Amino acid sequence: MRASRVLTFARYEIRRAVARKKVLALVALTVLISTAPYYALYATHTSLVTPPLRPYLWVLGVFLPQAFFLQFTALLIAAGSMSEEYEQGTAEVLLSKPVSREEYFFGKYLGGYVLVVGIVILDVVLSISSATFVFGPQQQLDVEPTILVAQVFAALVFYSFAFMVGELMRRSSLSYILSASVFFTSEVVGVFLNILYSLTGTDVYKVANYYLPTSPVDSLPLLLAEPKFPSSVQLVFRFAATPVEPSIVVSALLIAVYFLSAVLIALAYFSGMDVAKRVT
Amino acid sequence: MSFEQAVKDYGPKEIGPVTFSVGQGEIVGFLGPNGSGKSTTIRMLLGLIKPTSGTVRLMQRDPLLDHVRALEHVGYSPELPNLQSFLTPKELLQLTAKELGLGRKETDDQLAVLLEDVGLIRYEDYKIAKLSKGMVQRLSVAQALMGTPKVLILDEPMIGIDPAGVVQFRSIFRDFVRDGGTIVMSSHILSEVESLCTSLVVIHSGRILFRGGIQAFISERLGSRSILVEIADPTAIEGSALVGRITSLSGVKQVTPTPAGLLVEVDPDSDPRGEISRLVVESGAKLVGLGHSRSELDEAYISAIRGSPTQ
Repeated sequence: MRASRVLTFARYEIRRAVARKKVLALVALTVLISTAPYYALYATHTSLVTPPLRPYLWVLGVFLPQAFFLQFTALLIAAGSMSEEYEQGTAEVLLSKPVSREEYFFGKYLGGYVLVVGIVILDVVLSISSATFVFGPQQQLDVEPTILVAQVFAALVFYSFAFMVGELMRRSSLSYILSASVFFTSEVVGVFLNILYSLTGTDVYKVANYYLPTSPVDSLPLLLAEPKFPSSVQLVFRFAATPVEPSIVVSALLIAVYFLSAVLIALAYFSGMDVAKRVT
Repeated sequence: MSFEQAVKDYGPKEIGPVTFSVGQGEIVGFLGPNGSGKSTTIRMLLGLIKPTSGTVRLMQRDPLLDHVRALEHVGYSPELPNLQSFLTPKELLQLTAKELGLGRKETDDQLAVLLEDVGLIRYEDYKIAKLSKGMVQRLSVAQALMGTPKVLILDEPMIGIDPAGVVQFRSIFRDFVRDGGTIVMSSHILSEVESLCTSLVVIHSGRILFRGGIQAFISERLGSRSILVEIADPTAIEGSALVGRITSLSGVKQVTPTPAGLLVEVDPDSDPRGEISRLVVESGAKLVGLGHSRSELDEAYISAIRGSPTQ
């Protein structure tokens, strides 16, 4: 496998995704999500934003999109990556050249993932800038690189899952629907299991919740960040989610297991299957 | 390239067993009706689909297991090319060059020459989405020629191309073969195949019906061959002994006067065109043209398809 060819496909994938305008729409939404809350809080003069909270408000913009928007972004970028090439008949042209299937696969995977990382970074930069601009200098920013790494790592779960579904289905609309369904089902079941555990105290609900794909994704960045902030800031974290997983290690392991499984299944399927002709 | 008992089983439909080979320097016409297995055979050759059984070799390598080396010197232009509409012709060729591992200078040099050759130099910065079907087809052939291909696999390369483009492509393909290249070209335009190809592979319902030279195919499928003798003033030969003298030539089965001259039916293995032209000239008639009927390949092809056991 040649790195130069993997990078060629990665650049191609970025170009393709940008040309599809989907990414531009996601960037616009990111700008909105990471700036609007600050101006809304400022404009409404809410009593929630107490002076001790102000230097930590950058956390709000960084964590608010974690549970839904960032995962949905990853999913939207990945679901069409392989499937749209089959639908448009372009996979055939690209793979009829002296390139290995692995180079193509990992190039496309990498290209899409770079876009996801770019959107996470954009969200962080805009959140910190907006918080600083609206509420003054921000503190504890040295924690941010750790949070960023955790968010980017956590995004691998639904990114890889949607990428796998795209390859298995080879139909973009089906891939979007199926990946989004799994994501939302996992979120809803997680909430449901939480309620059941609160009502009954039965551990099985709590343990079952650990293994939902959304649980480690939501938990890891929170578990890493929360201990670094004063207790007064915990309220801000609750806007994002409540960590479900018992520890950072369990969260990280579950994320690794989920994303590696998805990548391996997709790669095995792609390596063994025929390159389909145009399907629509 | 070679196929040895290659089969692709799609469940309800099976392509193969396919067995044939193509040697260096050939321009092979790959003929068959829609759905006969041409594209499947080509896609097996390119390592895009896996044969259920049998072996396929391209540049003497397995195109599936040794894909990179097997396709190192192979250019492919697919049927109804679905090229990346968001790229420009220039960007597409640059992408192709990167896939082929070409350097920047080599890419720039080749890119300009190829776009000029296929008549797209003026459109190099247009989005492919804005190009006409014929232009996309030209671009598809250009990307197949990128690098240093020794083999070109062309699936319906003349579809949508204007007559000037067809002439241009013929010249490009002939030059390519003259320089030692090999071409496998599927086409439904039989006159194009006849004028360009040196041999044929005919496939029908997933089975190879014929592999060999065009003349051999015509001889095999048609009980006789037709020679058209065009005479400036056909009334001049009415009542003359010319018809009888041509009829008496070895291999001639029947001579029929036509408004343009004569239609001579001959045994498939004989070629008395030299003697016929001598006799016409000796009779005092003015010979305007003499040659095999242009529709012979069409007739032979239709005969092969109709007469195939799977029909």
